[in-house]
This record gives sequence, structure tokens and C-alpha cells, in this order.
Amino acid sequence: MTAHTAAPHMAARDMEAPGVRIRDLTVVYKTPSGELPAVRGVDIALAPGTITGVVGESGSGKSTLALSLLNAVQPPGRIAAGSVEIDGLGDVLTLRGEDLRRARGRQVGYVFQAAQNSLNPLKTIGKQLLDLGRSHDVEDLRALVRDAKDLLARMGMDGARVLDSYQHELSGGMRQRVGIMLALVLNAKVVVLDEPTTALDMITQATILRIIREVHEERALTTLVITHDVGAVAEVADSLAVMYGGRVVEHGPVTEVLGDARHPYTQGLIRAIPRLTGDLSLARALPGRPPTLGTLPKQGCVFRERCERRMDVCETDEPMSVNRDGRTVACHATDRHLTLVKRKEFV
Amino acid sequence: MTVIVSPEGAMSPEAGPPGTTRATLRRNFWRGVWRVLRRKPSRMAGVVIVALFALMGVAGPLLYPAQLPRDDDALYAPPSLAHPFGTDFEGTDVLALVVTGARYVLLTGLATAVITVALGTLIGLVAGFHRGRWDTLLMRLTDMNLAIPGLPLLLVLSTVWKFESPLEMGLVLGVLGWGGIARAVRSQTLSLRERGFIEAARGLGLPTRHIIGRELLPSMAPYIAMNMLIAVTGAVYAQVGLFFLGVLPFESSNWGVMLNLAVFNGGALTTPAALPYLMAPLIAILLLTLGIVLIVDAMDEIFNPRLREE
Amino acid sequence: MITGTGITKIFKQRGGVLGAREVPALRGVDFAIAKGGAASFIGESGSGKTTLGRIIAGLETHDAGEIVIDGVPMSPLSHRARQPYFRRVQLIHQDPYSALNPTRTIHQTLEAPLRLRAKQTGRPRSWVDGRAEELLAMVGIDPGYVLPRYPHQLSGGMRQRVVIARALTMDPEVLVADEAVSMIDVSLRLGILALLKDLRERLGVGVLFITHDIATARYVGDDGELYVLYRGQVVERGATEKIIADPVHPYTQSLLSAIPVLHGLERPGAERVVPREMQREGLPDGGCLFARRCPFSTERCESEMPVLGRDGGPGTETEQEHACFHPERRGVIPVGVGE
Repeated sequence: MTAHTAAPHMAARDMEAPGVRIRDLTVVYKTPSGELPAVRGVDIALAPGTITGVVGESGSGKSTLALSLLNAVQPPGRIAAGSVEIDGLGDVLTLRGEDLRRARGRQVGYVFQAAQNSLNPLKTIGKQLLDLGRSHDVEDLRALVRDAKDLLARMGMDGARVLDSYQHELSGGMRQRVGIMLALVLNAKVVVLDEPTTALDMITQATILRIIREVHEERALTTLVITHDVGAVAEVADSLAVMYGGRVVEHGPVTEVLGDARHPYTQGLIRAIPRLTGDLSLARALPGRPPTLGTLPKQGCVFRERCERRMDVCETDEPMSVNRDGRTVACHATDRHLTLVKRKEFV
Repeated sequence: MTVIVSPEGAMSPEAGPPGTTRATLRRNFWRGVWRVLRRKPSRMAGVVIVALFALMGVAGPLLYPAQLPRDDDALYAPPSLAHPFGTDFEGTDVLALVVTGARYVLLTGLATAVITVALGTLIGLVAGFHRGRWDTLLMRLTDMNLAIPGLPLLLVLSTVWKFESPLEMGLVLGVLGWGGIARAVRSQTLSLRERGFIEAARGLGLPTRHIIGRELLPSMAPYIAMNMLIAVTGAVYAQVGLFFLGVLPFESSNWGVMLNLAVFNGGALTTPAALPYLMAPLIAILLLTLGIVLIVDAMDEIFNPRLREE
Repeated sequence: MITGTGITKIFKQRGGVLGAREVPALRGVDFAIAKGGAASFIGESGSGKTTLGRIIAGLETHDAGEIVIDGVPMSPLSHRARQPYFRRVQLIHQDPYSALNPTRTIHQTLEAPLRLRAKQTGRPRSWVDGRAEELLAMVGIDPGYVLPRYPHQLSGGMRQRVVIARALTMDPEVLVADEAVSMIDVSLRLGILALLKDLRERLGVGVLFITHDIATARYVGDDGELYVLYRGQVVERGATEKIIADPVHPYTQSLLSAIPVLHGLERPGAERVVPREMQREGLPDGGCLFARRCPFSTERCESEMPVLGRDGGPGTETEQEHACFHPERRGVIPVGVGE
């Protein structure tokens, strides 16, 4: 990567990657049957300089979680409780108005779901870049354009040509890269990518994932990747959080979570992924269907209806997130299993 | 790998008997309509207003004698308990005129709406579904319809035709006015026919009659219903306007005739005496429009099962 | 039994200063699906796989080549005379959300084609309701729950099952499943794939499975044939498990290399192939379609078009057919940890 000239707006350039701590986050949506939680009591920390993958199916609350990082949950949604602390910025959820707007883009970059379609079709990419710069009061627009070109070149594209193009002149993979460029060009240190590879072809997807990984390392970012595709996350992430029904049910280093899943949902999900190798007869779909806001159980474990290891306690008590050797699991069955093992040791 | 019989969410407690007969569906539909209407007070207000006018149109003339009583001592009388909107130049009660005049206006509106929507929908559907030659032909026809200057034509027609019956009036307005709906329905059809379920129906070899009538039409129902309601207001305006301008012969009493007499005979724009005579039909028209607009708001939810059942 | 030979489709793009431009979507594709068999077509967007599926389902016409259904060639028949044949091929759409009419209950959705079927086969109308329940049970959903409901009340997985049940109303010989699981939640995908495989075995329905995700093809037709399509040309073809385990065409290898590795469960293959990026559109004249992206291309590839065959280099043959001058085995697929 070519060395960036230190423009005034890039003072934050040499900063270390910031950490992000989400604490007890609850986001509710207003529905005819009252306010229902799309995200409930989520505790998750993004270690500085790592890529965290959040995996979940429809209705898991993963996109709501991503929006909360920008304090951008739209009505009828509302952040009901919790905090999102980003180093050097403070609690994002207390920011309002102008401060919040500046934080988005400057500190937190966001690559939208289907970034392929989030560009303005009537303006060239370059124009949109300048709009972005002006709205964030960037003084040296030339430097901004230079940075954008460098970033695009880094991602294997002809920067000058791309900036002169309209959205429809670019392929899906190129648009996705433009989306990443726009999220990073203001030098954001925390980047959220929402479904970065959905609707892309296999080979393009592999390219985008590689670029995400490389840019992440070169620019010392803290990255959050939100997706339904376990494979995409497995390829890039350092740690993996699995969401179900608005909770994080399991969180830990990606190789450990995939290699030795503890939560029954994670285990079932992994068994349900079509793979190139492995015994076909061992693979099976999870029974039941993913919950929606309306069908989430009010009490007890959210996964119990599809769970093969459910117990009486799952009907009534919500399992606590238990942290053990760097891994978090919220499951009664796993808990009991471990405590039983422990007792044996002590007897 | 034999994991077929693990039906997702099967054997739900709410399953119940498969109530799939036509009658059950119809009952569920009307229950849904009621639910949708009750969701907003404004919709109920709209329903009440429109029901009131409908009642006026049906029963209005029965409330009064065929020849409305005249009170020669009270020409252009101001509003009073006996005459809430005063009287006209002959001393006839204005309220009675509004009520008895409603039938003509509403019948015209209804007839116009039915004809515009029926013609427009049929032509739009056929053109959009068959495309090609049919489309070209029908759309040229539509263009011609849109290009017909309505007012001058009506002026010419009125010299030979008396429009005694509101249905005749509705027929003319309807035949003149279907072009817009035909175009809109055609474009809706063109986009709907690319949808998976229409393609599937064709792939299954279902007859065209079924595809147009059972698959396409219900998907456009909210759109068509809205157009129909709005066509009613359009027809009311058009026809009241024609009578007001005095273009059409006064063969019957209706709101347009009242407006015309109030302004040109009573001088309602210059003297306050005839003002109530002018205001009464105006308020009636405004109320009717308001009622219809308030109901239109519910159409989307009524014809979309997802919004209806929630 | 359905076969196709030399299926060719050319799209004419209108407009532009230079007038119409011809874009070949399919370049002479041969295929065959036996009773209860499976043929999987793999390719990226623009490979022509969806167009092929629509042609086989009779929803689109082709410009050259012949489709033979049950021994009857289609091209001499009139449009009308073809319909009964193409009705034996039913398309399952990618999007179960738009494939069902939102204003009709599942009962209504199944009733219409079943009535038609009853008329065609001379069955009484009373047969219809029982058959609807039977079909829904066959695709693994509870008829009592589903029949009175509207599509929006069902999950994506259930909808796709209903779509399959609707396709079965015509007692088809072949189901064309175009990206049938790409819009289904991950945890439910295998259920749909297993259902397709089960229908092959139970009803003897052939499945033409179109996907961009090679791994899913194994779950429908590990015993079937795999076709790898690139820009309208079949570049590799053979037994599914064979090609996945041992691909020889660089494009197939690129596709397989692109599949994310589940670190922790798998280790990446040792020789993953990354194709070059195409800076500019355009194809070599008369050469291999993949030459400009192929990391192994030679001068010959630029000027000569390889045809599908088994030539594995001097004196050898490959098990599968391929369209490459330099077929070579490479370890591209991930290796399971602990295998």
C-alpha cells in the first residue's frame, strides 16, 4: 500500500485500533402487540484490531445490532437499554445530532447491506465522494480524492476510472469495493460490514473477503462483519459470535467455535451447512424454523423449541451467558454438563 | 440422508380444521375488512359519511313528496329550525333539495365509476397480458380515448341528448374516462406477469382465464378499488360542473342545478341571501369527497391478506 | 428422459450507436437427465445456467439445438403441441416469496392446477382435496396447518416446500430447481435439498439442479452428473463426486477454491487457484473463453478453442470430460481437520 500523505484530517491515522464494548444492549421494536425485543441483553466486546463475525439467520437481530453501533436504529425501533463504547469516542448511544453525524463516517465506517445498491445512480462515484467529504467538512478535498484512489488501487481497481463512473457501469464486486472505500476514506477505525458478500458470485466473494482481511490488517481496524453465511465469516474473522432470537448464544475464537461448538444451535447450524467434504449422511437441517419478533418466547431459552437437548429449566429460565476460557456460551445444557464434570473432579 | 419428515413448525396447536371452503374464506374476508376499518377512527368516519350519502340516494326521494312544498312567503329565507339551510327562490327547503338531488348525482358517479373501471381494467389487463399486437392495438385505442376532448364533446352531445337518466350521463362520462385506468392497469400487469407466481401458473398450463381472473386481478384489487372510488368523486365533479355551467338542460333537480341557480339566478356571489342555497350542495360535495378519501386509505390493507390479518 | 443437444441461445441487445449486439448466452450445451436422475449445473451469474433452466422448462425458446422429451424431438412441433411435453418439466423458482400469489391461500394455490390435472387424467373432482393433502405431506409439511393459510404466514422454507408441492401437481418427470435454496435460511437449506433427493428416489423425478454453490449439488445429486458452465459453455462435466473431489479444469478449480474454508473444521486446500481479474470485458477471438482469467493459460489457449473431451495429456485420459488444453489435478478443496 502506498504511504498516505498526512493530510490534516488524517491526524488519527497512526492511532491504534480502538476497542468496542457493547454492554447489555436491548433494542425493541414497536408492534401492534407491544414493544418486542429484537436484540436483548447483548454483551459483546470487539478486541482492538480484530475482525469479529456475527452470524445469524433471519430474525436473529444481527442487522439491528449493527445499526446500534452507529446509534442508527430507526423507528419503530428504539434502543431501550445498554451502551456501546468505542475507544476515543465514548458511548455512541449518548451522542446526538451533529456529534453523532460526525462520528458516523469519521470514526465508524459502515458498508451497507447490498452496498451494490446503496450508491446514488445519478451521480458519479467521485461526486459522491466529494459530497461525503464536504458533509464532514474535509478541507483538503484533493487529499481525499488521492486517498480514495489509493484505496481503490489497493483493492485492485483503476481509481481514476472508478471515480468517473456511474454505479451502473460497475459490476457487483466493484460496487462492493467502492462501498468499502467510502466507509474507510474518512479514516474510520471501526468498520461495520453488513452482509458484505450477499448476492456476489463465488469468485468475487472470495476476492472481497481477501480484500477485507488485507485492508483490515494494513489500516489497523477493528472490524465487525454481519452475515448469515457462516462460511464467509469463517474465512475472514478472528472471533465469531452466533446470534439467535436477539441474543448472542455463543462467542469465541472462530476456529474454536467452529471446531468445537458448545451451544446446541451452533452445533446444529454447523451440521446444516452444505460442505464440499464430509459424510453426507451426518448432515441435517435444524428442525423448526427461525423465530420472528412475534413468535419469540417471552421467557426461558429462545432456542428451546428447536433444541434437541432441552430440559425443564429451559422453559422457564433464560440461560445466562457464561464465560469460560475466552468463550461465552448461553445454554443450560452446556452449563450443567460443565458443572457436573466439575463436581466429579471435586468428589 | 432421510430427514424429510421433520416438518418445520408442523402440528402447530393453532392448526384447527382446514377452513378452506369459499364461504369460510368470504366470511374471513369480511371480518378482515371490519378489522381494517376499525383500525383508524377516520376510516369509520368515512364509512359513516358514505353510508349516509348512500342512504340519501336510496331513501332520500321517499322522504319527501314528489313535488317539494313551496313556501311563497319565504323566498331565500335564512337558515332556521324549519329550514336548516334556508330556502331557494321558490321557497323550497334547500335541505330537501340536497337530499332529493343526491340520487341523480350518486347514481351518475357510480355508473361512471363502474364503467371506467370495468373498461379500463379489462383493456389494460388484456393489453398487458398478451403484449404484442393486442397491446399495440389496445394502447392506440387508449391513446385515442385520452385524446378526446371531453367537455366540447359533451357540449355537442347535450344539444341532441337530454341526459334525463343519471345512467345515461354515467355511460357518457364512463366511456370518455377509462383511458387513464387502462394505461395504469396495463403497466401493473406488465410488471406482475414477470412475477414468479404468474410464470408458475403459465408453466402449469393453467388457462389464461384463470391467470387473468384469479391470479392477476386480485393482486391489483386494491389499486382498482382505489381508482373506482376516486372515479366516483371525479364523476361527481364533472357532472356537477356541467350542470353548474348550464351546459346540460335542467331536466331534474340535482346539486349542479342548485349551484347554477344559486349563482346565476340568486346572485349568491354578491348577495348574502342566497348564500345558504349555494353552500348546501357545496358542503354535500365536500363531505362526499372527504368520506371517499377517508375510505380509500383502507383499500391497501383490505385487499392485502398480510395487512388485513395482522 | 430428457436430452438436449447443442442448445444455443443468443440474446440480442438493442440500442447503441452500432445497432444490435449479439450476446451468446448458451453455446451448444448437451445434457441428459434420466428418470430419477440428477444433473447439476454450476456457474456464476452470466454463465447461462438460468437461461438453460428456463429453456428446458419451456418458458423460453432456444435458437439452435434440439430438446428431446420422452423420445419426441420438440423442434418439429408447433408451439401448442409442445405444451403437454413441457408440462412434464416444472420449474421451481429461486424466490419462494414471489413464487406464491400473496392473495391466495395455499389451498387455492394447489386447487387450481389439481383441478386441471383431474380433468386431464379423467379423475373426479373429489380427488383434488385428497391429493393436495397427500402432496403437502410428501414435501414434509402438515396439510392441516398449511392449507388454509396465506403465503405470508409461512416461513421461507415452508413456502419453498409448497412451491415444490405445486410443481408436483402435474406429475412431472423433471423438476428444474433454479437456486432453490439461496433465499432460504441456512439452518433449513439441507431440508429442502434432502427433499429434492428424496423425491428423486420416491417418485423417480429427475432433478435439474442449478446453483452457484457447488457444495449444495452434492446433497441433491452426489450420484448424478455435474456440469460446469462458463459463459454459456460446458467446460467440465462428469460424475458429481468425481469433479468435486478431483476437478481438472482451471475454472472449476477457481470456483472450488473460492468456497470459504470453515477454519476449525477444515484446512484450506494446498493449491487453491485464484483466477486473474478481468480488467476489461471482451473475449479472445476464437480462443478459450476462460483464457484471459486463467492463471495457466498459454498461447494456444488464446487462439484455439478447446472442446469437451477426455484428453488428459499424452497417452492419458481423464475420467470426466473437460474443455481445457492443460487439464491438471490440483488440490483445491479444503481438507477436513482430523480426516
